[in-house]
Amino acid sequence: MKDYIRVCDVEKYYGSASNVTKAIDRVSFTVAQGEFVGVMGASGSGKTTLLNILSTIDRVTAGHIWYGDTDIAEMKENALAEFRKENLGFVFQDYNLLDTLTIEENIILAMTLHGRGKKEICGRCEEILGVLGIKDIRDKFPYQVSGGQKQRCACARALVNDPRLILADEPTGALDSRSAQTLLETFTDMNRRMRATILMVTHDAFSASYSSRILFLKDGKIFHELIRGSKNRRDFLNEILDVLALTGGEASDAR
Amino acid sequence: MLGKLAFRNVRRSARDYLVYFLTMTFVTALMFAFNSLIFTRDIEEMFQVAGLMMALVGLATFFIVLIVAWLINYMVRFMLEKRSREFGIYLLIGMKKKEIARLYQRENILLGICAFLIGMVFGVLLQQVIMAILYSMIRMKYDLHMEFNRDCILMTAACYGGCYLLALLRSKRRFKRMNIRDLMEAQKKNEEVRESHEQRKRWLLPASVLFLGLFAAFIFLGKIQNGGHVLFFLVGIVLVIYLFYIGLSSWLVCYVRRRGNAVYRGQNLFLLRQFSSKLKTMSFTMGTLTALFTVAFLGCTVAMMFSDYQNKILETKFPFDVQINSADTEDDFADELEVIGESAKISEAYPYHIYARIQKGVQGGANGARTDGRIPEESQVNIWLSTHLKTFGRTYLNEDGSPNLKKIAKDSGQGAFYCKYDTYMKLSDYNRLRGMLGYPAVPLGEHEYLIHLKERIREEAGKLKDDITIRGNEGELQFAGYYAEPFSQDGHNGGDYVIVVPDSQEALLTPYYSELAVDIEGEAPFGLGNQLDHIGGPKSRNDTGEDEDIAGHKALPGNICCGSDTIVVMSVENMVRDNLIPEMKYMLSSLIFPCFYIGLVFLCVALTVLSVQQLSDSANYKFRYSVLKKLGMNRQEIGMVILKQLACYYLCPVFLAAVIGGSVSVFMSGKFIFYTGIRTAVINYFGLSFLLFFGIYALYFITTYVSFRRNVEV
Repeated sequence: MKDYIRVCDVEKYYGSASNVTKAIDRVSFTVAQGEFVGVMGASGSGKTTLLNILSTIDRVTAGHIWYGDTDIAEMKENALAEFRKENLGFVFQDYNLLDTLTIEENIILAMTLHGRGKKEICGRCEEILGVLGIKDIRDKFPYQVSGGQKQRCACARALVNDPRLILADEPTGALDSRSAQTLLETFTDMNRRMRATILMVTHDAFSASYSSRILFLKDGKIFHELIRGSKNRRDFLNEILDVLALTGGEASDAR
Repeated sequence: MLGKLAFRNVRRSARDYLVYFLTMTFVTALMFAFNSLIFTRDIEEMFQVAGLMMALVGLATFFIVLIVAWLINYMVRFMLEKRSREFGIYLLIGMKKKEIARLYQRENILLGICAFLIGMVFGVLLQQVIMAILYSMIRMKYDLHMEFNRDCILMTAACYGGCYLLALLRSKRRFKRMNIRDLMEAQKKNEEVRESHEQRKRWLLPASVLFLGLFAAFIFLGKIQNGGHVLFFLVGIVLVIYLFYIGLSSWLVCYVRRRGNAVYRGQNLFLLRQFSSKLKTMSFTMGTLTALFTVAFLGCTVAMMFSDYQNKILETKFPFDVQINSADTEDDFADELEVIGESAKISEAYPYHIYARIQKGVQGGANGARTDGRIPEESQVNIWLSTHLKTFGRTYLNEDGSPNLKKIAKDSGQGAFYCKYDTYMKLSDYNRLRGMLGYPAVPLGEHEYLIHLKERIREEAGKLKDDITIRGNEGELQFAGYYAEPFSQDGHNGGDYVIVVPDSQEALLTPYYSELAVDIEGEAPFGLGNQLDHIGGPKSRNDTGEDEDIAGHKALPGNICCGSDTIVVMSVENMVRDNLIPEMKYMLSSLIFPCFYIGLVFLCVALTVLSVQQLSDSANYKFRYSVLKKLGMNRQEIGMVILKQLACYYLCPVFLAAVIGGSVSVFMSGKFIFYTGIRTAVINYFGLSFLLFFGIYALYFITTYVSFRRNVEV
């Protein structure tokens, strides 16, 4: 499989000269098309920073990030916005739905910003609402539906423009276990059936076990990588927990 | 400790609510400056009408105190809501409700005192400006000087304190009812969008628009004639102002739900939803703002009208330096000339007569007292004007359209608009007076006559010449033209008009009353008019007793014929231009200044509420815009969305207010122009106040836009 996204020697520093924090320290990896990659790490390991950089919300201090042939580290602000619109989809822990819009309208807005026609928008919206099973709540406002439903709406919004990469930041963080499981199954489904490329950041081993490959981050560096291969999910979860126990990652869980 | 906390909180809220703080400062400054109009001693001593200014500024202050109290109350409540989480934490760590209430009140009072003190400094500056304007209006020299009138400061402080007291009393009650959970949760409340009965409610929008259309139609067609209509429309307008926004919001919601085409273009969906949900939660406030804007528009328009009158018409009302009227046809004006001579140098004085055609045998029965229905010759012009000028409408017409001679005779006998008899003047007198005013002399043939009338009625009176016949010694006189230069025709040289005939026709005329026109060198001294008024004796005999108008001038005796002027009428026996113009201007100022005052304060209060609303919501918006950014909008695009959103929000109440205020203003100006004879377009006054309005409006808008962008920029 061709290298779809290449992260090369990325560094990100915070603070001034006298007091520098290395949030990301020379990180390199690749993501292939159609892959479902998980990034794990404790609080402060730099995973959110990494996600922000990949999602062009934050800029790198050094290094390159190649999406195909484009290096986003070199791009200007406006070009980045355009890039974001064309290539990325987001799913966040706190949903990030607009509270003044209904579920359906949240999805429509993502498409109108792309300048698509009414007919196309209606058709596509209908389709995606069906795929994610949120048709019957389409006219509800975010505050009227459950967390799981909100998150599925966010997924729909992320998917609707067929982005190159979907970035998910702790998508199950605010959900109860049942909703979380349903959502993760949705993710797997999106990945398998729609060939969506997903990069998910999480500190929860259960969530991570749904992905096909996991990068472990500690103090801004990648220190381990797990590949699911043909293993079933339960074995993969055990493997993840072993790694965490070994490194004291989410120490309190493992001990 | 509490004091320190209060102080620190004030510093923070002053930054958060800068617009509010500045407005309070500005309001204090305005209050102080305008209150000082009441307490200026020089003026009080100068004019007897000073009481009018006091009364009107006082009245304006009353309304302003109410509105400012509303603003403070609104802001106090608003800040309370926004900071409820913080107060919840205070409660959580063990502060008593009473203590928090006291802390909060202390904060507000501190904020108020700061605004007051700074406001007083600006107030002193503004006072200088306002005084300078007023003094230059009334032609007095004003030397810049600080005037710290104790009463004025006290009154300003009392008004300001009163506003705060009114506002803060209520906040105490709110604290009593609170509990920690509510406080902590309060902030989340406004994120919920509740929609119910939108389909039904949206019909409020076309209903409101229809009502406004009806209102405009009624007002322009002059169909609002009685108290019932006025009440109906007043109640209707108030309802419309409030219901319009509910309707508009529902209409937008329905449009979005119906998925109209515009929904699918760019950021429209976001904007439409944003706007409709804001309108929904704020419809009452928006209504109140509209009402404030409307009042501001009307206040400014009225002020503009009268100030235009001041500038354009007033000067033409008094062409002679001094003009004196006497009902005694034998009067030689010796006493008056003596009084004038004592205080000024007379360069020319000319006594003359105004004549009437009183026919022997029918004297005393003039103006239609005859019952044969024929129009009497000696008052034909009066009757013609009474029945033809639009000013009078159908007042002097019978049902069948013929002149109501009885009514005309009755009213002119009591001195309503015209004298009992038509007024005539000899050509020699006329040309002499023209000479005094610097107009060229007018030639007139032996068998001709001319009519000198007010500019205002010239067009309307165009047909007058066809309907009257002026008989001369040898048959009918021919009409030789109209003249309309300013000629003191408010009862001196006739009321509205005077007919000029050749001297050779004198035999047909009877002296009616005497006039004296005086040209003096330089300006007339202050108080000359008063001195003239107080000359006693049989000469200034006054048929109707000691008639004095509100300014204390003697009114014209006997046959008062001030003409058809309304709104501003100045008809006095002894006219001294340099005394009367300042006095008139002062009187008009007492209308103009309070109107501006109200307009400005209402405008600022409304704009503050708009700004603060938007700015304090920027926390919510910050989140929304960050989502938009993640969806791929760049900085410029987001800037545009913010601009559009603010513009919608700002323009909506102004638009409605402009429609309501505009139709009333245009109607008012139309009437004003009609009755005063100012030559200007009907839309002018409203246009000018609209410009002034938009100047201030733009300032607030830009401030809000800049801080808003700064707040949401991620």
